[in-house]
Amino acid sequence: MPRSRARSVSGDVPSVSARRPRSVRRSFDDKLLPVLLVTPALVVIAGLVGYPVLRTGWLSLTDADGLRALTDGEMAFIGLGNYLRILEDPVLRRVSLVTVGFGLACVAATMVVGVAVALLLNRRFRGRGVLAVLVLLPWAIPNVAASFVWKWIFHDQYGILNWALGLDGFAWFNHWLTAFAVIGVVVVWQSFPFVAVALLAGLQTIPGEVIDAARVDGAGGWQQLWRIRLPMLKPLLLVLVVISTIWDFKVFDQVYVLTEGDPTRRNEVLAVSIWREAIAQLHIGLGSALAMVLFLILILFTIGYVWLAREQA
Amino acid sequence: MNRLAATVLTYLAALVVGLFAVFPLVWMVLTSLKPTADIITPEPVWWPSEFQWHRYGRVLRAGFTTYLRNSLLVAVGTTGFGLLVAVFAGYALARFRLPLRRYLVLVVLATQMFPTAVLLIPLFIVMRNLGLLGSLWGLVIAYLAFITPLMIWILRGFFLSIPDDLEDAAMVDGCTRFGAMRRIILPLAGPGVAAVSIFAWIAAWNEFLFALTFIRSDSLRTLPVGLTQFAGRDATDHGAIMAASVLFTLPVVIFFLFVHKKLTTGLVAGAVKG
Repeated sequence: MPRSRARSVSGDVPSVSARRPRSVRRSFDDKLLPVLLVTPALVVIAGLVGYPVLRTGWLSLTDADGLRALTDGEMAFIGLGNYLRILEDPVLRRVSLVTVGFGLACVAATMVVGVAVALLLNRRFRGRGVLAVLVLLPWAIPNVAASFVWKWIFHDQYGILNWALGLDGFAWFNHWLTAFAVIGVVVVWQSFPFVAVALLAGLQTIPGEVIDAARVDGAGGWQQLWRIRLPMLKPLLLVLVVISTIWDFKVFDQVYVLTEGDPTRRNEVLAVSIWREAIAQLHIGLGSALAMVLFLILILFTIGYVWLAREQA
Repeated sequence: MNRLAATVLTYLAALVVGLFAVFPLVWMVLTSLKPTADIITPEPVWWPSEFQWHRYGRVLRAGFTTYLRNSLLVAVGTTGFGLLVAVFAGYALARFRLPLRRYLVLVVLATQMFPTAVLLIPLFIVMRNLGLLGSLWGLVIAYLAFITPLMIWILRGFFLSIPDDLEDAAMVDGCTRFGAMRRIILPLAGPGVAAVSIFAWIAAWNEFLFALTFIRSDSLRTLPVGLTQFAGRDATDHGAIMAASVLFTLPVVIFFLFVHKKLTTGLVAGAVKG
């Protein structure tokens, strides 16, 4: 559809410019062309993002459950029933809290590691260019592959980490806290490169004179970091915190691979619960409500960050 | 003295960071090549006593040629359609005063904020009713949902960085707007277009949740799901799981090394400019 439209426009170019007066072409260029250019994108966004979101919102207010709901649309409006159930159900309530706690911990760790690596890469040393590329690699690794490698590194009997730490046969995945620690390591490993590289680019835009002036005034390394560098990078830091939050609250792949089929559900995050309820067990209404909860949490946090940043400024 | 300490610390930190970033990858490759006796041992064997390439052949015969093909089809399809939509929209949003331009950032941020699971349920229902659950097309369509908005955003950033004097000059010389875009701007934005294509390609190549949900038959599985299924069947064959992971990872790493600079600057620039 978009292709044929594009072809016909470009195919007409010579004849149009030859025959029609300039003003017709002008008004086509200014009025119609932009609309033609954005229409395919609007169709994609409205159809594949707008509609599904509204539909999920609607489904979350129904008792849609099982195959009949899928095939015949057999469901009834139950208001906030699913949301109340999430509040009352000990497992789902716990999953919501755990998602927030785990997500925040991952964001904090990612930012700390990212800032540290960016500061390191901002120094002069041999092999800096090579390191800057190597550091990016974890970002490029598919989530699923990364999860399998780390699962192997954390293997209780033959894992290299237990050997290095002298933990003979320690089963990381038997307790929910240590299991989340492993998942957190994988998530941070995959998300710090982006933060580091983006911050490095930011650090390099700070003029050298500013830092020199601070040094002359007797500011030490820490003071330079806290009083000058980080404040100057605040808009960038805010964007990175928002992006990391969005990534880390939605984690699915790593949790699925590392703790697959955990019957106690103590290692679930919301993304996994949504999948389990809505797809695996076809509790479509409840799963949709969980999806909306995760969405609302992300919106709240994003607004919160922006508000905090404004407040301080 | 102080200076020396700082230098030593810098190199030490660089070593630690480098190891943290790269060791898991190296370990993945080494494990895939070791004889089983070198793998199943509490005392790690750092270098394989003998290189075992046969695992790669075995993994490929266990269905991975099919998974590779499916992943490739889905990734190429998503990239192609995504580009078609995003190049036009990105250009229009960079050059014309469209009423919805201000909301673009919001829409893009929102599409990133929707947990993919929010899209998953309705798309699952629609695909099921359209009979697309047993087809790679279902995946391509679903991936377009969350990849296109980001492509538009990044491409718009690239188009904005090209001065519009160039088009104006071309149009004074008798080019139409569309001709100017195609002949002048697109070639200049070539690196950006390439970077965005590879971004889309990688995102589609890696995607797991939709692939897990939409595809039920083994002959249509893509790599990430194929890998988890394989690992589920042969959970103790660590060497083979690592070999399969290497096959899955290698194409991405190679692509990525070509474009990483453009990708990060594009993402961040777009984010900050708003």
